[in-house]
Amino acid sequence: MTVDDVLLRAVGLHKHYGALHVLRGIDLTVRRGEVVVVIGPSGSGKSSLLRCLNRLEDPSAGHIYIDGIDIVARSANLPLVRRNIGMVFQHFNLFPHMTALGNVAEGPRTVLRMSRAAAEQRALDLLQKVGLGDKVNVRPAQLSGGQQQRVAIARALAMQPEIMLFDEVTSALDPELVAGVLAVMRRLAEEGMTMVVVTHEMEFARQVGDRIVVFENGVIIEEGKPSEVLRNPRHASTQRFLRSLLKEDRA
Amino acid sequence: MAYEWDWSALWDNLAFLLDGLSLTVLASVVSMAAALVLGLLVALARLSGRWLGAAAQVYIELFRNVPLLVLVLWVFTVLPLLGGFTLSPLMSGTLPLTLKISAFLAEIFRAGITSIATGQTHAALAIGMTRTQVLKRIVLPQAIRRVIPALGSMWVSLFKDTSILSVIGVGELMYQGRIVATDTYRPLEVFTGVAVIYYLLAYPQALGVNWLFAKFQVQE
Repeated sequence: MTVDDVLLRAVGLHKHYGALHVLRGIDLTVRRGEVVVVIGPSGSGKSSLLRCLNRLEDPSAGHIYIDGIDIVARSANLPLVRRNIGMVFQHFNLFPHMTALGNVAEGPRTVLRMSRAAAEQRALDLLQKVGLGDKVNVRPAQLSGGQQQRVAIARALAMQPEIMLFDEVTSALDPELVAGVLAVMRRLAEEGMTMVVVTHEMEFARQVGDRIVVFENGVIIEEGKPSEVLRNPRHASTQRFLRSLLKEDRA
Repeated sequence: MAYEWDWSALWDNLAFLLDGLSLTVLASVVSMAAALVLGLLVALARLSGRWLGAAAQVYIELFRNVPLLVLVLWVFTVLPLLGGFTLSPLMSGTLPLTLKISAFLAEIFRAGITSIATGQTHAALAIGMTRTQVLKRIVLPQAIRRVIPALGSMWVSLFKDTSILSVIGVGELMYQGRIVATDTYRPLEVFTGVAVIYYLLAYPQALGVNWLFAKFQVQE
């Protein structure tokens, strides 16, 4: 692995919320084009990690390098940093006062200062790509959760980021809507997008993930190829966690 | 002895009374427009850093808790003395109205802004917006829409509160009424007439506000 291959590197990340120590020294490297799947029990710090990676949260200690630039440094220009890091949220967070097209065109318009025509063309292309070409002028409230989440993915892609962060993006969806969202993510991965995906979808992790990272209590307890980690977890906690997911699926 | 009503005092002076309406409307519109701008600025200050936020809170509590009548008289009598300048009655009337209404509007705007879920801000920051862009493009459009009915309620109460300006000689509806009542010695008829005029004007506005509440019902 050459240095050029590394897109994102987190070193010794810590995050405290008051007395709560949610990240306890995380080291994570993500190579260009790699899909890293982060799994682990709720409250283990997965979401906090993602929010630190685009500085929605300030890490209490440690460094994050993107393209070799330390984005924890005081001098970091956060709006500029975040343009390059797409993020999709568990609860979509679409802008309710804008149409689907408006949501996707908003970044290009306001942040990239593109012309209205160019921004809307880009938004239209992306909405078609996520299978919502017929929902362009619809407000979020009129869309299903799955459709909203696909708009949210398009909104993040509109900034043409180098890396995409997915924070349990299917957890709030009705089961029948999950597949459509995962299909979009799978296609993104096939196109070579670098992705960090926090999820409980083990099938997705196994098929799409290049590497699995297992979280527990704010530390990475295990990482490796999905086939190895899922079939032969070394850590007892990973085994317990995977078993609990299986039970959930059967329930 | 039964009182003998004589409504001619009202009818004969109706035009004179209605003349006062132009100042009632002018004072309401000017105060509301100024208070909307001021109230939004105070709300943003209140939500910003410590020092500015504390100053905004003092402003809000001061003007919310001093009665309007006292405020009007204070601005009319004390302020010119302190400042060494003179204000027209209309100016010294709209200023305290603006101060008082802006304090209430600031709280309304603040509630509107804080009611917008943080997820909205996170999503907007995540696509690379600056804090100012987030406010202008995402938070304020939603917050203002949400508080439009409350703004309407404030407008209706402001419209009626302009009657207090009669005490400092602003020739609005109530002031004209007091003149007519004194001139004709028929205060019962005249003030009843003034009350009916206020009612006829304010009630449709109140209906309009009800309509706003229905139209802008919060949908999550």
